[in-house]
Amino acid sequence: MQLAASETQRGILPQAGGKPALSPLARRRILEDWAFIFPQFFIFILLTIVPLIVAIPILFTDMSQFNDPEINQVGWRNFTAVFTDRGVQEDYLPALQRTIIFVILNYTTVYIFGLALALLMYEIGFRGGFFTVIYLPLMVSGLAVGYMAAMLFAKETGSANLLLMKLGLLKEPINIYTATGTAFLLPLMVGWRYAGYNMAIFLSGLLSIPKETIESAVVDGASYWQRLTRIYFPQMWPSFILATTMCLIGSWAVFDELVALGALYVNPNAKLLSILFFTYGFQIERLAMGMTLALETFLPLVLVGVGLQRLQRKLQY
Amino acid sequence: MATSVSAFDEFKPPSSSFWTLSRTRSALRVFGLAVMIVYSLLTIFPFYMLFVRSFVSTADSAQLHLWIPEARPVDMNSQVGNLAVFYDLDLRDLKDALGIPRNAFMGARETLAQISKKYNIPQEQIENYFEGFYTFNGWYTLLFGSLQGTTFWWGLFRTILIAFVSLGLLILLSVFTGFGLAGLRRRDQMYVYNLYLLQMVIPVMLIILPQYQMFQWFFKLFPGYDVQNSAIRNVLQIFALILINIKGTALSTMIFTSAISSVPRDLEESAMLDGASRLQYIRHILFPLLKVPIVSLTVIQLPLFYNQFLEPYVYLDPANTTLLPFIANRAGQFSTNFQVIYSGVFASIVPLLIVYLIFRRFFVEGVMAGAIKG
Repeated sequence: MQLAASETQRGILPQAGGKPALSPLARRRILEDWAFIFPQFFIFILLTIVPLIVAIPILFTDMSQFNDPEINQVGWRNFTAVFTDRGVQEDYLPALQRTIIFVILNYTTVYIFGLALALLMYEIGFRGGFFTVIYLPLMVSGLAVGYMAAMLFAKETGSANLLLMKLGLLKEPINIYTATGTAFLLPLMVGWRYAGYNMAIFLSGLLSIPKETIESAVVDGASYWQRLTRIYFPQMWPSFILATTMCLIGSWAVFDELVALGALYVNPNAKLLSILFFTYGFQIERLAMGMTLALETFLPLVLVGVGLQRLQRKLQY
Repeated sequence: MATSVSAFDEFKPPSSSFWTLSRTRSALRVFGLAVMIVYSLLTIFPFYMLFVRSFVSTADSAQLHLWIPEARPVDMNSQVGNLAVFYDLDLRDLKDALGIPRNAFMGARETLAQISKKYNIPQEQIENYFEGFYTFNGWYTLLFGSLQGTTFWWGLFRTILIAFVSLGLLILLSVFTGFGLAGLRRRDQMYVYNLYLLQMVIPVMLIILPQYQMFQWFFKLFPGYDVQNSAIRNVLQIFALILINIKGTALSTMIFTSAISSVPRDLEESAMLDGASRLQYIRHILFPLLKVPIVSLTVIQLPLFYNQFLEPYVYLDPANTTLLPFIANRAGQFSTNFQVIYSGVFASIVPLLIVYLIFRRFFVEGVMAGAIKG
């Protein structure tokens, strides 16, 4: 984008308004560029954008499963179901509530783990060994993290439970299969998994701060807190926004961890929105309804995400 | 893009000379180190516990085990039905090993002692057969058992195959994309770039239902697809998965577009003057220059491909599936044999963990480069 701006200034690319007459060479250049762009772009559009368009006519039907032989038009009924249909509300609203709690707590863990670790790492100097260990959980799948959570915090067999009780740090065992257990432990495990990634985001933000500003603050006798709020954070905005974007989409769509906690079958406390959409589409034959609910839930988020991306780019350049 | 990544080795805490000035600051540093050490230990703890738990049988799991428990002999009063349900005991294998005819009826409530008496088999022989049964049950069932028409090893093979093919094609196509977009000089290039950025904010869950429907329409064009377990069905499913993996992401586009933009245009022009085609230019001049962004994309995408769960779970039949859906199917709806699940989870982590530990330097640098680009 920097390049685009500078070339506009140099007059290679004409300002908006006047259409340039393309020389044959330039036209050939464009065609060649497109020959290189096309293969991946075709797959990308076909599998990311076209599904959204294919979905539109389905949203207005009662299509119950894939390749449903009998489809009736139902108008806007799927869209209004969230507000009027008792059965859908009973599924959707608790899942929405659980998801919102999860998103908030998960966002907290981004800071508890990611930002705190990045600041610590920055103060003690970069240590590859620590980075290797902290980044390690990212090599583990979400599914495995879910099973690990169950292994550590199942009521009677959880290893962490047993260890903490033996050490006398815990009186009653924690149970991950209860509503509170899932609500608090799951974000903790997910935060643990992404700690290395979030740390990398914040650390790269910290590293881009000019050293002189920090040194002069230290010379002037600024306390650590003052340094944080006056020097570090104001210069790290792109990192904050990137972490927010990642966390926003990632935590609204969390899926694998929940499957490991039995959300598809037995554990209703782990049924978040993504599980609901999956169940509607693949298990209980309410495909059109599932698609509509997914669209209603995620479309506002996509718009927020696009806004955040624009904001980040504006700040970065 | 503001920081050069290779500056890591020179990176020190903000001006180390200041540390000597103040005692509070060195206290802060010691505190920071201590927290880091504790956190690192906490991070390793679950991995260690997972390893130990893969050797702890369901019956022992309510006690705390910090190391592999000692093998204990099989309880002769246990019923074969319970052993089959809770420990995935293979009754056919048991009959073969003890010399009982395969068609002999074995009631679920029959105990091992009763079997010993009924078929006149010495107790020791049964105990020998069951030696280490509880301790290694998880690993034995995982590595030698089969489930819904596939095995652990086939799952692992498919996972690795899909991950590597996807990665190779993704890099190739993304380099082409980056080459076509380099510089972002024209408006059409800008539109394409911005569309790729959308990928970052569109959750998979939003598009997977209609996407699956589209693939169903596509698969129907092939006559053999409806036949369960036919070669064409398996190949098509894996093809679909690879296609999804190589469609290009915000990250791949950003990395290569900015990397190729920074390659001087003179280089391309002089290659052209020497009579090279653009493909030759990419192959011989550009690719060697793109080592850093390729490593960067690899270390971020490889774990994502290897650990992919939702798409294989949706697109692949249970008999044709990759490692993680295999483990999830193993857990299934009713299974209580958590030992085999923990063995499976641990086994699924190990291959990538080895790659990670060998190439950890590339991971660290690549991830930091990726984080800077966003």
